[in-house]
Amino acid sequence: MTDTRYEKLARILVEYSVEVRRGDLVEISGIPATEPLLREVYRAVLEAGGHPFARVRIPSLAEIYLKNARKHQIEYVSPILEFAVENVDKSITIWADENTKALSNVDPKTQSARSAAARPLFTRSLEREAAGELKWVGTQFPCNASAQDAEMSLSEYEDFVLRACLVHLKDPVAAWKRVHSKQAKICRVLDTKKRIRVVSKGTDLTMSVAGRKWVNCDGKGNMPDGEIFTGPIEDSVEGTISFSYPGFYYGREAEGIRLTFKGGRVTKATASKNEDFLRAMLDTDEGARRVGEFAIGTNAAIQTFTRNTLFDEKIGGTIHMALGAAPRESGGVNESGIHWDIVNDMREGGKIYADGKLIYKNGEFRID
Amino acid sequence: MKDPRYEKLAGVLVHYCLGVGKGDLFQINATPLSAPLVTEVYREGLAAGAHPFTRVGLPSLTEVYFRTAKKHQLTYVSPITEFTVEKVDKLLSIRAQENTKAMANVDPKKQATSQASQRKIFERFMERSAAKELDWCGTQYPCNASAQDAEMSLDEYEDFVLKACLVHKKDPVAAWKKVHREQAKLCKFLDERKTLRVVAPGTDITMSVAGRKWINSDGKKNMPSGEIFTTPIEDSVEGTIAFSFPACYVGLEVHDVRLTFKKGKVVKATAGRGKDLLLSKLDIDEGARFVGEMAIGTNYAIQKFTKNTLFDEKIGGTIHMALGASYPDTGGKNKSSIHWDMVNDMREGGKIYADGKIIYKDGQFTIK
Repeated sequence: MTDTRYEKLARILVEYSVEVRRGDLVEISGIPATEPLLREVYRAVLEAGGHPFARVRIPSLAEIYLKNARKHQIEYVSPILEFAVENVDKSITIWADENTKALSNVDPKTQSARSAAARPLFTRSLEREAAGELKWVGTQFPCNASAQDAEMSLSEYEDFVLRACLVHLKDPVAAWKRVHSKQAKICRVLDTKKRIRVVSKGTDLTMSVAGRKWVNCDGKGNMPDGEIFTGPIEDSVEGTISFSYPGFYYGREAEGIRLTFKGGRVTKATASKNEDFLRAMLDTDEGARRVGEFAIGTNAAIQTFTRNTLFDEKIGGTIHMALGAAPRESGGVNESGIHWDIVNDMREGGKIYADGKLIYKNGEFRID
Repeated sequence: MKDPRYEKLAGVLVHYCLGVGKGDLFQINATPLSAPLVTEVYREGLAAGAHPFTRVGLPSLTEVYFRTAKKHQLTYVSPITEFTVEKVDKLLSIRAQENTKAMANVDPKKQATSQASQRKIFERFMERSAAKELDWCGTQYPCNASAQDAEMSLDEYEDFVLKACLVHKKDPVAAWKKVHREQAKLCKFLDERKTLRVVAPGTDITMSVAGRKWINSDGKKNMPSGEIFTTPIEDSVEGTIAFSFPACYVGLEVHDVRLTFKKGKVVKATAGRGKDLLLSKLDIDEGARFVGEMAIGTNYAIQKFTKNTLFDEKIGGTIHMALGASYPDTGGKNKSSIHWDMVNDMREGGKIYADGKIIYKDGQFTIK
């Protein structure tokens, strides 16, 4: 049975997010379980005149690789991947897992050695994106493993994912265009502001965003989307933030995270669960103690925390901050091997002030 | 549940068939169904020090492609495919279909267009193989679709496939080495012959093989194997052959194929069911009407026709001829985008004469 909602989602990804044109070489990545969506994306790319190719992973191989590969194999970068990263015009990544904890017991050192080896590929694709040579979008296919993390049935989770992508609306592309215009207005206002203060339960934090750019996340790079973000001035963050939600990184998590900043740097860090993991993350490198991204989630169709950053950071009525690398388009310059988004609920009593004026309260903007 | 026979088969494929070694770029083509074998091959490839990577095809995409692609897409050759064919050291193709007739209703003209445009890749692949820059092997994973064509249960078919690969033997590699030695003797004898005549019910055909090389197909390029083959002098084939088994082509069958050759070229072709497919393939290009391969099947663990060329052409006691492209290592020069093997039973009354002397009768060689 074809679920026509995947046809609709495929059109958003192909026609709106990466705008496939005749002659484009389009990479579509997924696992076999994503076939219902992957097939529709493949079809939509062909209909748009592009040249689709599917890169399908068998999930069990990652574990075999990370547990068995020797040094020369971990450090190897395939010439085919190097070639592909230079030649692909559009890339659509469909995330899905058979088991979100399948790599929990892999040696983290091996994992970071592999990330380091593959970094030039990642850097190169970011460069090509920044130069406008490559468009990329990442999306989530609703599968049982993620439904389990979200504490939902598969069909409930499917509805959740598709609603978050605005697929339930009659014309989702028009809806995403409306998201774009609405957020563009907010970004324009914020671009003129110098200081941001965030207040919520256990949180009072200030930072300078003077001269930095607010970026409109309107469904081009992520689907679903719905956030605006910037990179604060690296040494300007002062105060304390208590995150209401746990922080995840590659299957590990810390709860009750509370960070105190001085001169932009984390000077005190506590957690109610897995504080060791939090400390290890902060000690990754110098940049891991600084904020690379400050963001406000705006997707009102996402109201539940589902332990998946793609959705959690977009929850309408939350903010998130990422420790580590700053996305270049905001003007941020912080560098790090990590980019760790942690989310804080603002819906009950949260406030944001810009240059001393209240602009956001209880999860809603107050500017028109 | 792990079937230890796949571990054994993986050992044969990685070490005996392909001789995978440290640093080799090792491509594994497969579908999701074959994951139990892919997993073992991947593991064995890593253990050998190679860089294995998979290219997993989702069967439904092929159908979407042929239904949707327009001309510029059907004639497109991906730069990534062109690059890959130059770089890969070892290539294993594991066939595993969900439905062997999924392509039955695809427009044959579209298939022909796509095939003709991929010909460059196929030829380059054959060249690198002939120059010993690339080792490749094709095998079949036992799946229900193929079991259904073979008119067996999956369990029976699994046994059939693994026995044909000699995996039931204590030391399958030693068994394949023995096949190699026995066939090497036959090839040496045939290399010195000039003319062949094949006689069977409805068949009397002659050809020159003078100066051509007989190839010992000993399980390196096909698993299972068990055949010896050459390419006749392109313009030398004369007479008529009536194939006892249906000719299978990507899931389609042509029954009662009867070909008459004059100066190497098919001048008359008749068939029962599927005749249109036969005629369209004969006209795909000039080389499609010439014989690219003449072969004798020697695997006596395969006795049953299962509508799968990999096995059927190896049946101990059969011969087969391929229309289209020849393998350059025989000395053959015929070029075509097709290579279509058709099998003829020799077990009841079949005879082969070499330079006028009988060398094969009722499915058995009569020479030592």
